[in-house]
Amino acid sequence: MYRLKRIVTSKLFVTLIWILGLIIIWEVCASVVESTKRTPENILPHLSGIVDSIFSDRKVNGSQTAFQMVLDNAGATLSRAGIGFLIGTLCGFVLALLMNLSGIAEKIAFPYLMLIQMIPILGMAPIINAITGDIAKSRIIIAAILTFYPVATNTLAGFKSVEREKHELMYSYAANKLQIYIKTLIPSCIPYFFTGLKISAPMAITASILVDTLQGGIGLGCLLSQSLKGAMTRYVFWQIVFFSAFIGIMSFCLMGIIEKALTPYKNNRKTRKRV
Amino acid sequence: MSEMLKNNDVEIMLKDIGMVYQADGKDVTALTNVSIDIHKGEFISLLGPSGCGKTTLLRIIADLLHPTSGEILVGGSTPKEARLKQRYGIVFQSAVLYDWRTVKKNVMLPLEIMHVKKEERVKRAMKMLELVGLTDFADSYPRQLSGGMQQRVGIARALAIKPEILLMDEPFSALDEFTREKLHEDLLRIWRKTNKTIVFVTHNIQESVFLSDRICVLSPHPGRLSAVIDVDLPRPRTAELKNTREFTELVAKVRNSFEGV
Repeated sequence: MYRLKRIVTSKLFVTLIWILGLIIIWEVCASVVESTKRTPENILPHLSGIVDSIFSDRKVNGSQTAFQMVLDNAGATLSRAGIGFLIGTLCGFVLALLMNLSGIAEKIAFPYLMLIQMIPILGMAPIINAITGDIAKSRIIIAAILTFYPVATNTLAGFKSVEREKHELMYSYAANKLQIYIKTLIPSCIPYFFTGLKISAPMAITASILVDTLQGGIGLGCLLSQSLKGAMTRYVFWQIVFFSAFIGIMSFCLMGIIEKALTPYKNNRKTRKRV
Repeated sequence: MSEMLKNNDVEIMLKDIGMVYQADGKDVTALTNVSIDIHKGEFISLLGPSGCGKTTLLRIIADLLHPTSGEILVGGSTPKEARLKQRYGIVFQSAVLYDWRTVKKNVMLPLEIMHVKKEERVKRAMKMLELVGLTDFADSYPRQLSGGMQQRVGIARALAIKPEILLMDEPFSALDEFTREKLHEDLLRIWRKTNKTIVFVTHNIQESVFLSDRICVLSPHPGRLSAVIDVDLPRPRTAELKNTREFTELVAKVRNSFEGV
């Protein structure tokens, strides 16, 4: 009985149930849509069709299969999102540092941060495109802008979370500012910093895809908008959707893995608490 | 001549210390007219209920607060100079350990800030851990330790910089009775071995009687020194002392010395 309970509550089991549930719902919906037959081509295909299309070797644009094409475009999107993400992370961290160092900097910068965050990306994209004059660059910048805010605010929260006693200890050791940051504040904010990264990594990718749809060229979003306009089969469309979701989740997981590697003290279950 | 000797013996001199701070636009007196001479190597307790200003007084000594009136000298210099010379070891109510550092590295932290050489750092940290009985846990992380053990690490860290004065702010109040009793004996052993001056803040009467040479009884509203009681119980002290008549009589005497609580 106890064992059964442990299996049922295990993470893997819960995940499997989730996936199974989603598949069932999908298939039911697909069948319903199929039976209504309102569109000549079923917009919600069965999952098997999508899986088939991934492994089919039918060339869709002369030289590539559908999946190869998705991979190619995903590569372009990912690299832009990745570069933007790195730039945004760096800027966000540095800004958090500056805001923590100076109350004036915080007061000045914070409203702008909020403002940037409130402008819709779709509104921002053409402006930035016009400024940079380069599609790829503008996409990187937009990914960076989106990354920037969660990283900056979370890191700042991390700096501020340090207990008063730790500051007092540092004070009693007569530590200088640099030592206080290196020994206490920066290590303390790492979990917060990663919270920011976990929010912004999928966002950078989603934003990158979204901005792609506005402009041409290579990228998952461009492919998506082409397939939406009927240039490609619905299977390609769904391949892109699934693949985008997949890399979004993977980017989140990757941040978790890096965090775990950097904070071994947090998941040390080898030795139990001793009295 | 004897007067001069006595003066030389004073490690911390507090004279007419007053502390007034503003809250909601009103002046609140946290401390008024507190004068104490704390001698070298003495174990002194600041005892009182919450709001009596005992922690404020400790923070004034530690240079974490500046008194609004009065004079304070630590080894003949100001608290700030004493702090910059790293003459204070501070232990807080919670251990305030660094999660990401092992026990050994926690103890080494102040030494890193003081630019002590690595070899010497490790040597000193291990010596301190031996003193508090945690040699086997040098490479554990704080979260793997019990509350009592964490507080021992805190004490080892405070001692690592070889301070002359150990300032302890209710260090055992979060621990259970059994752990606390064990740590009392350990603290007295460490004190005997290291000859530090210890200023110990507590609200526990028995604790203060058991540990101290002298108890400064502070009463609230406004925080003031209402009595200084000598504890002339023999040393070394063990837990059995708590069963003696002398001990209970002293506890009663201390309890009766509070005003307006």
